[in-house]
Amino acid sequence: MSIGRNGRAHGAPLAIEVVGLRKTYPGGVEAVAGIDFTVFPGEVFGLLGPNGAGKSTTIGMLTTTVAPTAGTARVAGFDVVDDPIGARRASAVVFQEAVVDGSLTGRRNLEIHARLWGVPRASARTTIADIVGRFGLSDLVDRPVDTYSGGQRRRLEIARSLVSEPRVLFLDEPTVGLDPRIRYELLDLIGDLRMENAMTIVLTTHYLDEAERLCDRIAVVHAGEIVALDTPTALLESLGPEILELRVGADVDALLSYLRVHGHAGDDAFAVGTTVTVPLRGQSARGVIDRVEEFGARVTATTTRPPSLDDVYLRLTGTRLAA
Amino acid sequence: MSTVVTTPPTKLQPIASRERGSTSRLAGFATLSRRRFSLSAHTPREIFVPLLTPILFAAVIAPALAKAMTSGGPIDYLSFVAVGTIGLLVPLSCVLGGIGMIVDRESGAQRDLLAAPIPRSTMVFGNLSVSLAVSCFQVAALIVVAVLRGATFSTNFSGIAWMVTATLGLAIAMHSVAEVLAARIPKQEEYVGVAPAVALVPWFFAGSFFPISAMPAGLTAFAKVLPVTHALALMRYGLVDHSGRGLHDIWGMSNTTAMAALSLGVVVGFAALMVAVSVRVFSRTAIH
Repeated sequence: MSIGRNGRAHGAPLAIEVVGLRKTYPGGVEAVAGIDFTVFPGEVFGLLGPNGAGKSTTIGMLTTTVAPTAGTARVAGFDVVDDPIGARRASAVVFQEAVVDGSLTGRRNLEIHARLWGVPRASARTTIADIVGRFGLSDLVDRPVDTYSGGQRRRLEIARSLVSEPRVLFLDEPTVGLDPRIRYELLDLIGDLRMENAMTIVLTTHYLDEAERLCDRIAVVHAGEIVALDTPTALLESLGPEILELRVGADVDALLSYLRVHGHAGDDAFAVGTTVTVPLRGQSARGVIDRVEEFGARVTATTTRPPSLDDVYLRLTGTRLAA
Repeated sequence: MSTVVTTPPTKLQPIASRERGSTSRLAGFATLSRRRFSLSAHTPREIFVPLLTPILFAAVIAPALAKAMTSGGPIDYLSFVAVGTIGLLVPLSCVLGGIGMIVDRESGAQRDLLAAPIPRSTMVFGNLSVSLAVSCFQVAALIVVAVLRGATFSTNFSGIAWMVTATLGLAIAMHSVAEVLAARIPKQEEYVGVAPAVALVPWFFAGSFFPISAMPAGLTAFAKVLPVTHALALMRYGLVDHSGRGLHDIWGMSNTTAMAALSLGVVVGFAALMVAVSVRVFSRTAIH
């Protein structure tokens, strides 16, 4: 499929188009500080950032459960303010917190969702049967949801969001609070979704591995702003193939300036706490370490390794993401 | 900090065409009503607990009061108080139903429903329908218990029509009050503290145990502005006192039908106002 000069797939609207979107809560808390991005049909798009970065508020505005203070957003071509019902009809969302009716059975929860999204009864039955099988819920679906484990409940929620066959699926921190095994099961499941369905997925996460594994592109969100937006590969390449991490007993800012002046570090080198990170870009680690010692700093630990998204995030924001 | 925006990924698929008819207002309403019924059916105490006090009243306290206060008048006190008990039952049941709305909000279910492609007002009307159904069931149960205990009610068509209309109006109004309270009060605990006062206090002034004219003039004037006073006067007019003494105590007119129409106007007007307020308050508070 080709993309036109205006960024639109021929004949199809952008899945999501966000321009200058801003949210200030009562009391003056600016959760989203004017962001712009587009998501293409069929893309898995990640919003990566720590708690409080503005990811969930962004999802809230796109699902019309949070009113924007300024800016515009379109979901599958529907303006979230002017045509919120259209935007909701084209999408589904799995919120960060579990929101299924615990006293009802899984099947009842799925049926209610199907009815609310206007799925005809006959096709709802077929779709539910299919999804229940695919998500391994067959043995559970007629039990009250209160009896499900956390992972089973999460699977049900994702299954429920698919009953209406949404064009755009929002997954807000879908694996948060789950144990590692269930988390990886769910990641497989979400990965399969994009293989099997021509569906656009917007995923928020503060887990780097999730973003790297699932997303075509990642918007790095910090303090309500998008500070970088690119493919995971391109984001990683921005730091070159290898970085040197030095723990030093010295003024790290002065050391960084010293390395820059002597051509051993560029603008992409950064320091946090007592650690200085220098993208090597072809130079030897030994050369950099010699220069650090020449500066008079005591080096207590050194590591050379390929950069991770955490390094990218750290360079962009000066804050480390939770692992 | 700088924003970097680059080329889109190459592995894109066309946006799938999954056009389907929109969810009609009626279908959304019916689905939400069924959901609320299903949830209530899993917590039957929501339906039966509010019945306990009024039924005890109708079955035990009202007969005892009737025995102690035999007036020899044209209306037996047992029937008078049995109708008065509806003024407790309906508000209590509707206001306690507001807890379900707070549970929906606290559990996140409300947010999920807000993401559904239906008008937000449908959520209010879905809750209202269940509240009405539960109120009707409870009033019917109360009347049956009162009859079994010896109360006598008129059963002509117009009488029942006044009674039913007044009951529905009172239930709609009180449910809407509950919806407003549930939207404004953040915690269940706080709501539980407020609910009895909202449901009970008006009942004491509304002529439930005695005609409002028996109270001091100031309290009588206060009773006249309470919608529950008008609702009870209408119910008694329909079921136990076709001379409309309760209506006369309010309006002081001679045309009983006109007084009944005026009281019905008060009940319906209050209900309509509260529905409008509840939809507005819900829409404003649910979306941040």
